[in-house]
Formats: sequence, C-alpha cells, structure tokens
Amino acid sequence: MSDVTQAKLSTSRRRAHWQRHLRANWLHLIMAPLALLWLSPLVWILVTSLKTNVEVFDQAAGFWPQSLNFSNYPSTLSVAPFGTYLVNSVIVTSSILTGQMITITLAAYAFARLTFPGKNLLFTLFLLQVMFPIYAIFLTNFITLREMGLVNTILAMIVPFIASGYGTFMLRQSFRQVPSELSDAARLDGCNHLEILWHVFLPLVKPTLIAFGIISVVTHWNDYMWPLLVTNSEGIRTLPIGLGLLAKADSGADWPRLMAGTTIVVSPLLLLFVIFQRRFIDSFMHTGVK
Amino acid sequence: MKSTKSNLTRRRLLASGLAAPFVSMMPGVLTPARANETVKLQFMYPVGVSGDINTIISGMISDFNATHDGIEVEAIYAGSYDNTEQKVITALGVGEPPALWLPINSSLQTFLGLDALEDITEQAKSDDIYDDFIGGFLNTAVSDDRLYGLSYQPSTPVLYYNKDAFGALGIAKAPETWDELFETAKALTIRDGDELKRWGLTIGGGWHDWMFEGYCRQNGLVPWEKDKVLWDRPEAIEALSFWKTMVDAGCMAPASTWQGSANDFMAGSTAMLYHSTGSLTNLRKSSPFEVGVAFMPKKKQWGASQGGGPIMIAKKQSDAKKEAAWTFARWMTNTENQAAWSRATGYLAVRKSSWEQPEMQQYLAEVPQAEVAMKQAQYSGAFLQVPAYSRARDSLKSAIDRTLAGEIAPAAALTDATAEVNREITRVLRRQKG
Amino acid sequence: MSHAFARARRNEMLLAYALLLPSLVFLAIFTYWPILRSVWFSLHDVLLGDPDIYWLGAENYLRLLEDRLFWKVLGNTAFYTLTTIPLSIAAALLLAVALDSKLRGMAIYRSAFFYPVMIPSVAAGMLWVFLYAPGYGPINEALTSLGLPRLDWLYDSKWALPAIVIMSIWKYSGYFMLILLAALKLVPSDLYEAARLDGVSARHRLLHITIPLISPTLYFVIIIGTLHSYQIFDYVYVMTQGGPADSTNVLTYYIYQNGFQYQDIGYASALANALLVFVLGLIGLVAVTLGRKVHYLGER
Repeated sequence: MSDVTQAKLSTSRRRAHWQRHLRANWLHLIMAPLALLWLSPLVWILVTSLKTNVEVFDQAAGFWPQSLNFSNYPSTLSVAPFGTYLVNSVIVTSSILTGQMITITLAAYAFARLTFPGKNLLFTLFLLQVMFPIYAIFLTNFITLREMGLVNTILAMIVPFIASGYGTFMLRQSFRQVPSELSDAARLDGCNHLEILWHVFLPLVKPTLIAFGIISVVTHWNDYMWPLLVTNSEGIRTLPIGLGLLAKADSGADWPRLMAGTTIVVSPLLLLFVIFQRRFIDSFMHTGVK
Repeated sequence: MKSTKSNLTRRRLLASGLAAPFVSMMPGVLTPARANETVKLQFMYPVGVSGDINTIISGMISDFNATHDGIEVEAIYAGSYDNTEQKVITALGVGEPPALWLPINSSLQTFLGLDALEDITEQAKSDDIYDDFIGGFLNTAVSDDRLYGLSYQPSTPVLYYNKDAFGALGIAKAPETWDELFETAKALTIRDGDELKRWGLTIGGGWHDWMFEGYCRQNGLVPWEKDKVLWDRPEAIEALSFWKTMVDAGCMAPASTWQGSANDFMAGSTAMLYHSTGSLTNLRKSSPFEVGVAFMPKKKQWGASQGGGPIMIAKKQSDAKKEAAWTFARWMTNTENQAAWSRATGYLAVRKSSWEQPEMQQYLAEVPQAEVAMKQAQYSGAFLQVPAYSRARDSLKSAIDRTLAGEIAPAAALTDATAEVNREITRVLRRQKG
Repeated sequence: MSHAFARARRNEMLLAYALLLPSLVFLAIFTYWPILRSVWFSLHDVLLGDPDIYWLGAENYLRLLEDRLFWKVLGNTAFYTLTTIPLSIAAALLLAVALDSKLRGMAIYRSAFFYPVMIPSVAAGMLWVFLYAPGYGPINEALTSLGLPRLDWLYDSKWALPAIVIMSIWKYSGYFMLILLAALKLVPSDLYEAARLDGVSARHRLLHITIPLISPTLYFVIIIGTLHSYQIFDYVYVMTQGGPADSTNVLTYYIYQNGFQYQDIGYASALANALLVFVLGLIGLVAVTLGRKVHYLGER
C-alpha cells in the first residue's frame, strides 16, 4: 500500500518535474527549429564560400565541400582593395550614425515633449523623407552635391543621410513612453530641458537608441546604388561596390567568391550585433525602468 | 621637375588608401592647378563576366600610363552595363562626361541623341581599323556609315549544351535547325510523372529579347530600323510562335532569370541553354560535365545579334583630350591587348590579327568552343539600336513572357508591343528635333 | 503670472525650433528641394543627360492614367505591401515576445532571426535565386519531401511575387523584431508580474497588457513597415528585373526604370509624386484609425 503510494508519488513528482522543465523550456521546442530554418541560408553561404566552382552545382558532390577551400577568401580580396573599402565603410557608417544620433535626439525630444505651433505639420514634413522614393531624388541630389563640390568625396555618401525622419519618429515614440513623473521631478530639481533630455530621457531609451543604431549602420553599410553613382576613385569607395564586382551581370555568378565576399562584408556587422545585443539586455537592467 | 615630384607623393598618398578618404575630403588638395603637359582622362567601364576583370583592367591602365608620357588614365568601375550607362548619362547632364566609356552597343542611338559621341571615322580610316577589325564587331558602333566607337568586348548568344546528356542519349551533334532543336529538346526533357527533372532547353531570362532578335535574324528579319521596331512582321511572329510551341510541348522553360538559367545548366536542370559567349569561361570551368558550344540553330539562315560594347569617346571635351582618348582607345584594342584580353576573359577578340597570334591559336586549341562564337560573329549584327532601347527591350520581354505564359497570342502580343514602342520612339525623336 | 506663462510658452517654442533646426537644414537641402524639383520636373519633358527641358503641363500625369503597366505595377505594390507587412510584423511580434526573456540561448535566437537584415541585398537576392531554383533548389526539395507539388517560383508569373514576399519575411521579420524588442524593454515589468500572479493567461497578457503597452512602437512599425516595402526594389533589381511578364514590377522599381533606364525623368517624377500622394493618404488613414488607439505611458 505504502509502496504503491510511494511509487505513485514518485511518478507524479517525476511528472511534475518534467512539466516544470517543459514549462520552463517549451519555448525552445518552437524556437529551435524555427531558428534552424532561418539559419539554413547562412549555412549555405558559409559552405559555398569554401567550395570550388565545380562543386557548387554538382549534385553528385553533396552538400558539404570535399575539402575546405579557403583560397576563395584571398582570391576574393584580390579583386578590389577591400582593406581601403572597409576603412571607408567604417568612416561613412560611423559618421552617418553620429550625425543622426545628434539630429534625431534633439528633434524627437521637441516632437515628444514640447508644444509649439506647426508641430503636426512639421512632423509630417519629417516623414516626407521616408515617404518619397529615393530614386526620384537621386538626380537632384547629385546635382546639389556637384554644386557643393562634393562629388567623388567621402562626404557625398554621408551628408544626404544626416537627418533622419525615420529615427526621429522612432525615438519620439520612445520618449513619449517615459513617465512624466520622472521629468517633472527633474524639473523640480531645477534641470532645464537639455539636462532633462541628457540625464533622464536618453538613459531610459537606450534600447531604442541601440536598435536604431544597429538599423542605421546595417542600412548604410550595405548601400550600393548611391555610393556607386557619386564616387569614382577606388580610394573612397565602400564594401558593397567590391561585392558588386562579384555579382557579375554578364555571365552566371561566381558563387564561391560571391559568398566569400558576403561573409567578409557581413562579419563585422554580425560581430557588432552580437556585442550590442548583450548591451541591449544590460542597458535595461541598469536603467531601472523595470 | 617639381610638379612631377609632388605628383608622385600625391599618388603614393592615394595608394596608401588609408589617407585617401581624408585627402579627398578636402577638394583643394586633389585638384591643384596642373601643369599642361599631362592630359587626365577618366574611363568608365562595367564588369560583366568576372570580378577579376577589375584587376585586369587596372593592370592594363597601369601599363598604358607607364608607357605613355603626358596621358594619365583613371579607370572607374561603374557597376553593370546599366549602371555604367546611367553614371555616364548623369555626368553628361551636368556637362562633365568622362573622356571615354564602355557601354552596351544598344545604347548607341541613346548617346547620339544626346549629341555625346565623337565621330572617329576619319581616324579609324587612316588607321587599320576598317581592315583589321572583324566586320560584325565593328558595325556595332556604326550609324549612318559613321563610326562612333571601337568595339572592345563583344559577345553573342550561343547554344550551350551538356555533352554528357547528349552522349547518354546517343545524340552525336548539336541541333542545326529550329526543327532539329525542337526534336532534340523533346528528347532531352526528362519527366518523372508530373514532375519535371530536366528541361530540354532554357533561354536565358532577362536577356531573352536578345535571343529573340537572333531568332528573327535567323528567320530573315532584322527586327528594327534606326527609328522603329518591326516585331509585328510575320518572321518575328513565326519566331515567337515557335517558342510557344516548344513551351507547350513541355520541353522549354517558359521563363527564367539570367543568373538562374546559368545555374540550371551547371546543375544539369536544363540540357541546352542560350546564354552569352561572355559566360563561356564560367560555364566551362564550373560545370561538372563537358560543355559543348554551337551556333544558334538556323531557320532560313544563321543569325545572331551582338551584345557587349565599344569604347566610346566624348564629344564635349578639348581636342587634346580627344586625341589622348583616341590614343588610349586604339591602344586598348591593339592586336596584343585584344588577344590577351580575350584569353583572360572569354570575350571575343575584335581584330583578325589577334586571332592569328600564336597565343590565340594555342588558346583555340585548348578551348575549341571559343572559335564557334567567333565564327558565328560573321552572321551577326548590332542589337536593337533604336532610341529608347531600354524601354523597347522591356516591352518586348513583357510581350514574350505573357505569350509564353499563355496570357496572349503571339501576334497580338507583338503587335501591341510594336505599337507601344514605336509611339515611344516617336516621342523621343520629336523631342530631339526640338 | 499669465505674463510669465506666456514667456515660458514662447521660450518652449523657440527651444523646439532650435532643436528641429539641425534636422531641417539637411532635410531642406536633400529632401525638400529634390521633392520640389520633382514636382517641377513632372510638368516638363526632362531627359536624363540633356540640360534642355520642355514644358508639358499635365501630360505626364495623363500618360500615367493611360499607362497599362502603371496600374499593374500599382496592383503588385499593393499585393506586396498588404502581404509582407502584416505577416512579418505578426511574426516579429511573436518572436519579440518570445525572446523578451532571460532564458538561456536567447542571444543565439535573436542573432539567428536578425542576421538576414545584415546580408547585403545583392548577395541575399542572388542567394534566393538559388534557393528558388525549380530543378535543384532546396525549397523545391523540401516541398517534395513534404509531399507537396514543386513550383517554378521566379520562373512563373503567378508565383514570382509571392516568392519575393516569402523572402522578404525571412529578411525583415528580424528587423521589426529588434524594434519591438527595444519597446518591450521599456515596459515596466511589475505590470507583468502582477498579471501573472493574478493568474492571467499568456494569451490574455499579450492581448491586453503587452500590445497596448507597446502600441506606440507597434504604430511606428506599421507605418514604417508600409514605407519599408519600398525596399523590395533591391530584390526586384537583383533577382527578376520586374519579370516575368511584369509580375514583380513594383512602383519604386518602375520609377527607377523610367528615370534612370529610360532617362524619362519627367514621367518618373510624375510617378513619384503620385506615389507620395497615395502614401500620404494611406498614412493619414492609419494615423486617424490606429493613431487614436495608441496609448503613451508618458502622457495622461
């Protein structure tokens, strides 16, 4: 009798243990396969970058490369001065990001927390930047930059993107989420608007700033058409132009090198993301919103 | 002396790469008042077949600059053919065209419409250009008997076939006529129940209008004149109907993409492929089977239209620059350089004398497929050199696609497209006349 | 008192304009000036590469009404936007909620869903041309192993656009996920704890706590997502060039074709302005319907 109860108890305990385990980890059951599905193209990119040209389409050759053919990487790098391109890409994206962070923070604060005539109209005007198709403004911007003497300079790839209606909108939404008790308290302590912005608002919306930063960097890191149009010299060009050399238009693509080039271009971003997505978590733990 | 010296340091500064962005951010540093002796030329070019072309062209330019005092060429990679054309035209619009550029030959009328091209007929005649250039290639830069460019990297579509697949079925040779093509394609198609395992034939999508012009030529029609397209002629309609027949018979892919079709061929998903001669090196080196190359099959005659492009020289620049530009264009297309370029890229050398070079003869012995493309060139002509050619190409592609998808009959599709495009050409011409 | 109040208001106004000024300077040069020029261009016959310009009046806009392709392109754009945006935002919301926890391995998941955003569009486009290959592409192989019929994807005018939609969901779910994740970080967690202790179900918590709390960001994502559908240009450009049979041609690509490939800047400008009016209308509609329901924590 007591044995039976004991056995029952232990089964139910074991079941409870499993249930607890399952409840804590059921998410993995859904997320893991989904993540694998999402990752499969990345695996193909990496695997292909290590294959020989013949292996890519040889169905008899199987999925994995017969030997790891790392020579695609140096051979990709020899196509164009990728080192210079990398430096330029870093300069361009970081300059744009810095400029945007300043302009959007100021503008978003005005839109979120201040009252002034013409607010809605001005906000719509900011959004116009996102609404108007970029190819319709290429020509005029090219002419403007030429008049400024900026064609074929690094600045030509930076200045058109310093203001961001997108970033302003994104940050405004977050600023409006900040409880007004906090800013009221700061004002009672004698802080002016800029001090409140700096000491109260910015720390609280760090996740949004980081998210916007990641998006801005990714967007401009991969921009191709505009840099191609406004630059001529190899010394000031950026990474996607090097990648464009491998996505040949006339014949079929050079798959192993295109994928090696993709890996080269994406790696710095991926690294940055892995670092920042940790900061992303940390940032909210320290701000004390929660 | 002094200027040479500062010049060198500046170049070294540029070469170091790291410093370049900062230097070029200060406009004054890069463009100081220059001594008159050096003519600076900008040359915009696309990269069509291999990223290595970039290295090859840079190497050629260095050679040229090293051997030509007083001329300094800057090579500017400008993306695809489309990108290159757009970059040049945008620069033309602000009155600062590059000295030379390398566009697709179809853009000839577009550039002439902008009054952008230097007529080089006289220089060419007093040189050996008319004697030594292969006629089919030279003609791609001719309008009203005047020459506006030196053919540099010509290509035509050819029929690629999977020799292993042919061998397995005991088919000895590539098809030579449309009828044979149809029969061969049917024989090569493999189906497993409803599921298609291999197409008999795929026509490279995205450029299928280019192949279609070849079909028109094979049927005895050059489907355009300088100011109109003639796709509504019976020869063209017959050609499209033939495509439709092959699609309906299930042996030809109804549509494809340019990159996709090359992949399909390499992966064995299609046994025959119409693609550019520019793809020869890539297809040959990346296919796990032996690749055959043949003329595009004929109807009434052999026929093909030329892709690829000539080097063009800008009209709106100083005489000194024009002369330097001619020297450069002439040098890029000389016998040795064309032979070397052809071997390195798989493009066809434009000069007869290049093909007679021992290295070229050796190349032909190693890659006999290259000769097929060269021989087909004698039956080929320029590709769709009408004003508004880009719009014309897109209209034709759409008409072909809709026909092959069964949305519309061949005659109706081509008649509509012809009317639409000719209306557009008239509009552009009226504008040019003011 | 009221005098001091008026002065405070005036100071606030001046401060606001000062804060907007840096943005406005750049917007004026690189956004408003080109838009004004495009309005002017659209009333003229402008040929890219030719400095001469001829007055046309409304002709470009009348052409637009008769342009068979324009209406097809508009339909394609609407189809793309109305499928991609709801699907990827819904996916992103679920992912963000699922990944907003301190569970082990979340960092890996976040990276797994976000990395497609980082792949340059040239490479991503080419990659999916391969994945969609009818003969040997992994997608058709997967369909076969599930007992489903194979499709011709990019080679078929009926499936080419849906193929690009599927690819966009892969590429952009992570993008919206990141933004929503940032918003979830701003939500006070004591609200959750209270609800959990009260025994409120997960579904209920999502619908009645999470969504209202992040509604400002959700609103942002819906508007930006709609505009983000412009990004499809890159894939059309790399993968299909609008084909087959114009089935993947969308407005941004059509504008590019007309302006840069056909040199018809006047007509391209008319198209761009038509698109702008259309989008302004759409955004206005969203603002009026959804915007009212948005709840901001910072406002009472």
